[in-house]
Amino acid sequence: MLASPNWTHLAAELSGEAPLDLSAGLSLLLYTGLVVGLVLLLMLLAAKLGHKSTTPAKREPYESGILPSGEARVRGPVPFYLVAVFFIVFDVEAVFIVSWAVVYDRLGWAGFAQMAVFIGVLFLALGYLWKAGALDWGPRAGRKAGGKLPEAGR
Amino acid sequence: MSTVIFYVLSATALVATLLCVTRKQAVHAIVYLINALFALALMFYLLGAPLVAAWEVIIYAGAIMVLFLFIVMMFELDPAREAQRPAPARRWPVVLISAVILACSLALAFADPAGQAGVPGYYASPRAFGELMFGEYALGVEVASFLLLFAAVGAYTVGRGDEPAGGGEGRR
Amino acid sequence: MNPLWLGLVLTAVKLVVVLAALLTMAAYMVWVERRLLARMQLRLGPNRVGWFGLLQPLADVIKMLAKEDTVPAQADRWVFLLAPAVTACMALLTFAVVPFGPPLSLFGQEVPMVVSDLNIGVLFFLGLSSLGVYGVALGGWASSSKFALMGAVRGLAQLISYELSMSLALVPVLMLAGSFSLSDIVAAQAEVPFVVYAPVSFAIFLVSILAESRRTPFDLPEAESELVAGYHTEYSGMRFGLYFVGEYINMIVLGALTTVLFLGGWHGPWLPGLAWFLLKVGALAFFFIWVRGTLPRLRYDQVMHLGWKVLLPLALVNLLVTAGILLGVRA
Repeated sequence: MLASPNWTHLAAELSGEAPLDLSAGLSLLLYTGLVVGLVLLLMLLAAKLGHKSTTPAKREPYESGILPSGEARVRGPVPFYLVAVFFIVFDVEAVFIVSWAVVYDRLGWAGFAQMAVFIGVLFLALGYLWKAGALDWGPRAGRKAGGKLPEAGR
Repeated sequence: MSTVIFYVLSATALVATLLCVTRKQAVHAIVYLINALFALALMFYLLGAPLVAAWEVIIYAGAIMVLFLFIVMMFELDPAREAQRPAPARRWPVVLISAVILACSLALAFADPAGQAGVPGYYASPRAFGELMFGEYALGVEVASFLLLFAAVGAYTVGRGDEPAGGGEGRR
Repeated sequence: MNPLWLGLVLTAVKLVVVLAALLTMAAYMVWVERRLLARMQLRLGPNRVGWFGLLQPLADVIKMLAKEDTVPAQADRWVFLLAPAVTACMALLTFAVVPFGPPLSLFGQEVPMVVSDLNIGVLFFLGLSSLGVYGVALGGWASSSKFALMGAVRGLAQLISYELSMSLALVPVLMLAGSFSLSDIVAAQAEVPFVVYAPVSFAIFLVSILAESRRTPFDLPEAESELVAGYHTEYSGMRFGLYFVGEYINMIVLGALTTVLFLGGWHGPWLPGLAWFLLKVGALAFFFIWVRGTLPRLRYDQVMHLGWKVLLPLALVNLLVTAGILLGVRA
């Protein structure tokens, strides 16, 4: 049932060059093995050869010489994870643009217009975030965005 | 040769996914999920879709997992505390959807036990892929741009909450 | 010997030579940077071990192997132990798609001077650089230390921000070459390097890779004046060494990629291909060191400002303008 007309249609459009270059794949596999092996060997050597004299104080996290206080996992401010959300949005955009980049000449001006609209819409997103202050990280960011002092009273 | 690699990769993906859903520590779960996604990407490459493989790594393993990691790193409270379990009433949609997906997969598997249909061994070169996507599915691409616009605006509106925008790193 | 085995042996020898050369170059890049930076700051730099201090990298390796491998008490042990490997591996693996010379004929066999000429080489590089982020993030998280966590969060935000402008700056190159394969991209630059056609892209890419390699002026994840050593505060011995050498491997690999993408790869008059390649990579490495000797560290909001409000819109406009001009010229 997977061999519906849709598949043959796709196949006609998509089949083309040779599927897998075995020698290149093998070379990459060998290289990966070498790299991973070497790095693991270095870490193993470090664990075996290293000097050993552990004291409880040595295993404390470093806090400029004083005893560590409180939890290491501080609850962070929101903007940091918003960066990751915006990154996903614009990364997906980049994926579309890059897919277009290698065929821009075959698609011609029609493809260009299409991409211009695509990028234009995302410029709207960037513009909105810019205006709303989502891209501000400075100490004066809160004032610009909300008109009120962010830190006052905290 | 490629059949052997395929089975090795699918075993990796399955084991990594199983380990992912059984971990208590969220960061460990994310690490296993990255492994599973990477194995899936290699499978796409084997199936003749190099571009999809690359996007799988760049978007899923490289962007969405980064977001998960970010959130876990910043909002995780005490790692020793028992993870909060959702109330039974909120579980049944998940169970229902999973059951439907399982039923569909089983039906597909039994309809074609010898695995004759499958995906034919075609190869989608990046240029052919791009031409198809921006030619035939041009409208979809434009719709995607609007979806992304809404996603960005929505994420900001929801994520900002009642905090003043851009509290800065120094705040405690 | 039959051709198949000969090919396999040649490939294996090539891979070992490439890896050894890459690691030696990274080790000596540390020495070059320390000497050059010292001269820029009117100091002498390491000059005691061996002739002109040339054995310093070797002494450093021995020292790092002999140091104690400490793990903080509250650390997440396995993630902590493995995170440095991620950074070093991703940097070394990226080199796999970089063509570093014209194909060589040995014993009647054509040996390509690239580890693996993938048809999606550029995307391989982008994918690995997006995974390399995890070395910083997981290392900082697993340390269970405030400085390390803060460094990791900052590093994560900075790296993903500049990944965007980096990938968008590549778009004009992809248009000019019409392929994702780095060998094709080099072949397309036989006459004129792409930097002539796409100078703005080159500038954006250069700034972005500076940020991606976490070097001054973008070394906020490890800003020693405020975060001690950032994400690798708790690391010691060889594990610290892997982060440290990883940075220099990254510098060489990113320099090599810039060479391949914008400066014409191994193409050049008179000299053999490999010599041109090394010369260009060396020049870029010198530029990186020079920048470090010249510029102060940016403030965090300045880094994010530059990434999101300058480079990202500039890269988008640049790629549209380039596409328009190319379509106009080629029509």
